Amino acid sequence: MILFVFYAVLAGVLVGLSRQLNGRLALSTTPLVASFWNHLVGFGLLSVLGLALGNLLLPGAGDTPWWAWLGGPIGVVFVASGSWLIARIGAVNTALLVIGGQMVSGVALDLLRGAPVILWASALGVVLILAGMALTQRKG
Amino acid sequence: MSSPPAQRPNPLHLLAAFGSGGLLTLMVFFNGEAGRHGGALFSSWLAHGTGTVAALVLLALLWRRRPASAAPGSRAPLWAYLGGVSGAATVMLTSTAVNTPLALAGTLALGLAGQVVFSLAADRWGLFGFPRRRLDLRDAGAVALIVAGSLLIILFGMGSAA
Repeated sequence: MILFVFYAVLAGVLVGLSRQLNGRLALSTTPLVASFWNHLVGFGLLSVLGLALGNLLLPGAGDTPWWAWLGGPIGVVFVASGSWLIARIGAVNTALLVIGGQMVSGVALDLLRGAPVILWASALGVVLILAGMALTQRKG
Repeated sequence: MSSPPAQRPNPLHLLAAFGSGGLLTLMVFFNGEAGRHGGALFSSWLAHGTGTVAALVLLALLWRRRPASAAPGSRAPLWAYLGGVSGAATVMLTSTAVNTPLALAGTLALGLAGQVVFSLAADRWGLFGFPRRRLDLRDAGAVALIVAGSLLIILFGMGSAA
């Protein structure tokens, strides 16, 4: 169990590391070029891994609906925007504002598709996040 | 250090970051659907493949001559090309952790902690070629509010936690 806790924390650390590396690359190129390299390098690595393990294309893979393919193109814009932001507002602000946007839109998506939502906790969470975001905006 | 000076977020940054978080929600949803059919490795592989093609198309559409302001000799170090390795590893770790007793809520909450601690360290010591940034009291307040709100949603607001 300790190992899986470590995995989950490490995953978060790697999200930050990835943004830092792509942001550094964007300084010397552009955010879109950095996003391109991020996806190409990841694709190469995962291709090698999938071929080595032999489980890249499981029987159900062909049933993936066409719209699920949109995750990749959306990711390009996501990585490019993160690379653009980190050079301008720093790592902490970028991480927090993106997390805030993810949480609030996640609650909205869950409500839209009728997933179970505990309303008081979600509403209070959204209020706290919006207050935190507003606090980053106030002139000091 | 020729990096642009770091600023406080202005409304444009706020909008970009918030929208970017919204894109992340959609991305997780779409990639999750691909993973449901073909497994986590296929899902990440597909997203990186379609992403590579999409980035090429966008670059072709937006291609311009290099702006004259681009400083010559500011080539990126080789390690800056490894963001994709880190991203691919993230997917594997996350999809493993989600299928343990940690479940989605635990994985998200611990990942949030890892992300916040890393970003604090990155700004504090100016890691990977970026300038140092010190947190003031207001920044710390924003961190506390956004982390508290996120944990509230993850641990109590998502129906599965009930």
